[in-house]
Amino acid sequence: MYNNFMSALDDGELIVKVSKGDEAAFISLYDRYKAQVFGLALRMLGDLMQAEEATQDTFLKIWSRAHLFSADRGSFLVWALTIARRTALDRLRLEARRPAISNFDDPDEQWNSLPDAGSNSDENRWRSLALVVQGLPADQRLVIELAYYQGFSQSEIAELLGWPLGTVKTRLRAAMSRLRQAWQA
Amino acid sequence: MDQDHPFFDDIPAYTLGALDLEEARSLEAHLQTCELCRKELTASQAASQNLLLGVTPRQPPPGLRRQIISKLPGNRKTWRVGFSWLSGQALLILLALALVALNFISLIQIHNLQQQQAGLLQKYQSGQAALALLSSPGTRNIPISSGEVSGSFLLDQNRNAAMIIIWNLPRLAENQTYQAWLIDSQGKRTSAAVFQPEAGQAFTATQISSSLALSNFKGLGVTVEPSGGSSQPTGQRIFKIDF
Repeated sequence: MYNNFMSALDDGELIVKVSKGDEAAFISLYDRYKAQVFGLALRMLGDLMQAEEATQDTFLKIWSRAHLFSADRGSFLVWALTIARRTALDRLRLEARRPAISNFDDPDEQWNSLPDAGSNSDENRWRSLALVVQGLPADQRLVIELAYYQGFSQSEIAELLGWPLGTVKTRLRAAMSRLRQAWQA
Repeated sequence: MDQDHPFFDDIPAYTLGALDLEEARSLEAHLQTCELCRKELTASQAASQNLLLGVTPRQPPPGLRRQIISKLPGNRKTWRVGFSWLSGQALLILLALALVALNFISLIQIHNLQQQQAGLLQKYQSGQAALALLSSPGTRNIPISSGEVSGSFLLDQNRNAAMIIIWNLPRLAENQTYQAWLIDSQGKRTSAAVFQPEAGQAFTATQISSSLALSNFKGLGVTVEPSGGSSQPTGQRIFKIDF
């Protein structure tokens, strides 16, 4: 009964309850967004066990920092995924470990995992966002992948790929410009 | 990029977290005073947020949900802290009790061993004394015979040493003991030994001792007395000999 009541609440109402120690509200948020958080952790860490641990760390941080969430600054999902990204980056930096680069650049890998279009609005949303990223030229997609999902700085990317720093900066700016145009359209 | 906005082109990289530390600090300082760059930052941040939202969702293992719930601070306190505190206290108490019990058992064992050692030493000394008396040329062997009881009274008055060796002396109740008496010419009895037959041994050897010279005495008797002995004979006489 109480769980049904929780599922009727929106994210903002649930996170307020979580900040007061409401476990049922926390579980509702977990059930809503576990797949997005785990998906991001797995994408960044490339290892099921590591992704599981990062997901756990993320949700425990959400529990302990719920009082810091402000709906004025963005959605709960973006806040949760930002925590998940930082948690995964911390793990990558701590272990100086990076997943194989070849996986970042393979559109088929992600494409195969996409669900059917129109199955629900959430899936449609991330599917359209993913399509825009996949539509970037390969060199631009690569710098986005290395910078955002692997935590490399521009100078580290230049060193890693053997490209001039100016080229990295140009490709990264071009990639972001294309993404902005596509998502604003 | 122009002179008024020297970090404008770095804003996309900044929102992706791809600027080096120095560059990021410079840009942050500039953002404090530049509204145009702040607007650009907001737009760029919206794009980077979409990078978060555009990742393929994946279902985590079913057990992760339970695992996370069990690690919430409230649940952890109830189970883990409570359990570890209680088990720690109980373990310490059990350990202390075990040590006390072990010490107690050790003390009993040491006491028993000491008693056994004292008994063995007494037997050894009696045996040695009997051998010494028997090998002495001045020793007289006065036979003892009374009912089932028989034996010898070995007396060396020159060395003021004597002992009785009695066969078939029955064991007494816990609250009784045998007591040997030296008897002088006036008939006065002086306690000379208190003893019990050894379990599993057919004879009993007991040294006779006196603060006076044995030459002052003319006879020896043995009676049954209360445990610890008496100042004068009170119980059943076992035998009496004259020497």
